[in-house]
Amino acid sequence: MSHTHTPGNGGADPGHAAPMVEEITDFEVLEIAVRELAIEHGLFTAEDHRRFTEWTETIGPAAGSRLVAKAWTDPAFKARVMEDAVKACKEIGIDWAEPTGFGTPSDYMNLRVLEDTPTLHHVIVCTLCSCYPRPLLGMSPEWYRTTNYRRRLVRWPRQVLAEFGLILPPEVEVRIEDSNQKCRFMVLPVRPEGTENWTEEQLAEIVTRDCMIGVALPRLGRTADVHPVHKARRPVQGSTHSGEARHERKE
Amino acid sequence: MSARNELRHQQELIASLQPALHVPQNWNYEVDGPLYTAYVHPPHDVGGQFDVPVVYEEKEEEQWELDTYVTCEVLGWRGVWNSEERRRRADNDLGYALYVGVPYYGRWILSAARMLVDKNHVPLTELVEKIAEVKSRYGKK
Amino acid sequence: MARSKPPENALNTPANARFKVGDRVRVKDLPNLFYTRTQMYVRGIVGTIAACTYQDVIPEDEAFNRDGRLEQYYIVRFRQKDLWPEYQFDNDTVQTESPERWLDPVDN
Repeated sequence: MSHTHTPGNGGADPGHAAPMVEEITDFEVLEIAVRELAIEHGLFTAEDHRRFTEWTETIGPAAGSRLVAKAWTDPAFKARVMEDAVKACKEIGIDWAEPTGFGTPSDYMNLRVLEDTPTLHHVIVCTLCSCYPRPLLGMSPEWYRTTNYRRRLVRWPRQVLAEFGLILPPEVEVRIEDSNQKCRFMVLPVRPEGTENWTEEQLAEIVTRDCMIGVALPRLGRTADVHPVHKARRPVQGSTHSGEARHERKE
Repeated sequence: MSARNELRHQQELIASLQPALHVPQNWNYEVDGPLYTAYVHPPHDVGGQFDVPVVYEEKEEEQWELDTYVTCEVLGWRGVWNSEERRRRADNDLGYALYVGVPYYGRWILSAARMLVDKNHVPLTELVEKIAEVKSRYGKK
Repeated sequence: MARSKPPENALNTPANARFKVGDRVRVKDLPNLFYTRTQMYVRGIVGTIAACTYQDVIPEDEAFNRDGRLEQYYIVRFRQKDLWPEYQFDNDTVQTESPERWLDPVDN
């Protein structure tokens, strides 16, 4: 699995590999070349790049968790979410028009929230690429982008869900949402029993990113998605970027 | 690629990137029906294909991956390309071997490089000279 | 200025939409060349319109930077048993989005 691990950086300080101690990779070279050429030819400015980068540092799954917790505790808010989710996102501080004024070029401004019931369970995939509601959930996890997940989920959903630790009884309808065009989707799970007097903050803690993709259910005491994490050679500096990696680091 | 030995190994590796069909392909007189369909199938349409269980990993993000994402998005923001051309069609145009073989954001940055040349924003000679210059700047052989 | 723009939000069926929620439709089975966003696994299969989403440029035009044809998009729901002959669970479904031109009406 971790065939790209390189010797010399084997865990001594994996989060902060010294820049350029290891030889730069071909994709790092290509990225620098493309970015510099684009700027030199006036296609965009370094300031544009910096502004967009700053926006990416503000996104993450916590916003989705807040949305779910609020929808669980406020039926009127939930109704607004189901009516127009992009608009309702503004109430929890997420403006889908950022950072350009018309949204990101790839996420569009068309979010639909899929409400689970005791007899209906949604799970999301993009079989064609990795479409994902970044403004609300941050960047997609690596496994979501793999051909493996994209190939198998639409055909063997219950097997794949079981591999995530989620086994659903046959009477529950599994509904896969293949996010293949310009709608973006998020799952609104069923509020678990035993959370009746919880605050929104408490509720948000058990709504992990995996619950909002639909590969896990919120459960009392489960506050993080646990997957093996492949460490970066030169990770994003000081970033809270990758939703799950951040969960892992917190523990 | 001065050493002939190195060249031979590199060429063998390139030639082995034929995930479609591992048989000699010197005389492709008849490529019809299912084989034709398989060849022209857009690589990204993978839903329902057979695959085996794996451990679903997270990945800590590399700095170049974030920079790639932002570069591609800013190129969209400034109207140089749209998302459908980019993440979607351009990734397919890389071909099957690259599509399945390089990192997720590797597809993105290769697509961006290709687009700069395709749309005549940057001559190919300038792109390769820039790549050579960046390699030399960071001491990459 | 950027060509990218958000699709028009149309949660209700617009007046000029050919299909409405509940209609049965069959996905066209056209040959592939160069590009598609209509997955092979839904081609030729009958499903039900689950939602009318928005109007936007069709992917075949936008992918080649044409100032393209605007069409109504729909979310179509399929039964898993109709897609995969070996599928064991009667109730399970899959939904995916499609522009109008890929859908043919099916008489009930």
